Amino acid sequence: MVDISIADATVEQILANQKGLIAIGAGLAVGLSGIASGIAEKDIGAAAVGAMAEREELFGKGLILTVIPETIVIFGLVVAILLLFL
Amino acid sequence: MAFLIRRGSKKYPYITARVRAMKSKLIPKEVYPKLMNMDIPEITRLIGESEYKQDVDELAQRYSGLDLLEHALNQNLARTYRKLLRVSQDEPNFLITEYLRHWDIWNIKTILRGKYYGAPAQEILDAVVAAGQLGYRELTSIANMESIDDIKTALTHSPYYAAIAEYEGGELSVIENELDRIYYSRLLASIGKSKGEKLSLKYIRTEIDLKNLKTLFRTKKAGLEKDEILNLVIPGGMELKSGDLKRLSSLSWPDFLKGLEDYSYWSDISEVVREDMASLMDVEAVLDKYAMGYATRISHYYPLSILPIYDYMLRKNNEINNIRTIVRGKKVKLPDEIIRKHLVM
Repeated sequence: MVDISIADATVEQILANQKGLIAIGAGLAVGLSGIASGIAEKDIGAAAVGAMAEREELFGKGLILTVIPETIVIFGLVVAILLLFL
Repeated sequence: MAFLIRRGSKKYPYITARVRAMKSKLIPKEVYPKLMNMDIPEITRLIGESEYKQDVDELAQRYSGLDLLEHALNQNLARTYRKLLRVSQDEPNFLITEYLRHWDIWNIKTILRGKYYGAPAQEILDAVVAAGQLGYRELTSIANMESIDDIKTALTHSPYYAAIAEYEGGELSVIENELDRIYYSRLLASIGKSKGEKLSLKYIRTEIDLKNLKTLFRTKKAGLEKDEILNLVIPGGMELKSGDLKRLSSLSWPDFLKGLEDYSYWSDISEVVREDMASLMDVEAVLDKYAMGYATRISHYYPLSILPIYDYMLRKNNEINNIRTIVRGKKVKLPDEIIRKHLVM
């Protein structure tokens, strides 16, 4: 562990440090929203398969409903992109 | 995280969505008037083209006409219930298993009744619905037994032995009642304290209430004494607790009807309850309708629970009863008006 105090740090070090924090933030934005989508899709997917087992024509509807929580992870991705590139 | 895993392990989304899809395949109520205008062969054909196709096709070689329809309906009911067991897991599976023990009771009653009236084994087997824990093979061997003692021995290990242990042939009403009580007390005891199980309890206790109401109406109408009535009712209801049952059973017929006004069921039955009503048919039909309406209503409040499944089981059973009512009515040439009164839609 390298002990860096802000007072001793050079401007480059501080900038590098900030970049690192931004990367962690972007990672969290995608990762956590991914987990959230997964939790939401788990039940919907199970229900869609159940309905489809009885009525095959529900495939289209089931598929659409299952991927709706996918928007959460897309928002996460957008936030991550904003953090990294803007 | 642990609570997420536990919640997931109940696996309601799959089974409830599947059951809802199955419910959408039930016969819609607009079709019943159409069925009433048909002959039995026409009805058989229509039924044979619907969800009952497999059963009608399977049994068509052995039976025809009314027999074919009756057997197909019974077999379909058993098959549907077994399917629910097959496609469910964990808590829903446990709750469905417990609920379906009702059919064990039904089958034991049917066999004992058949033996009492000396019906041949085949005829008894025609009426059993192998949807409970006792499979068709076990039921066949029990139905083939000659003496009551053999039947009792065969059922020694079942939880219902206590009800039939003393039975020596003869009057069945006492045992039938005892079997019902054992069924409900075991059902209530087996259901735990989790949220899903509490909802199940709510429904079952309402079902007990409705059963007790029917018993009260019948026994009051027949003028039975308080003690006799209390022997017939099932404890554990939602609104009609044992105090209420004691009170209601001791009242005279007009006071009894007045006493019912305190309960939430009154708003539904008040339309048909008259002090001088000749038959209880209307009241019982209304109570059956109430049970279905209630099941549907609470299944909408709690969509991811056992309730949509109970709702479906009730409706499936009702559909089969309705078809059976229509064909039997047709067979004995009852007027349409009377058949319609018996239908629960």
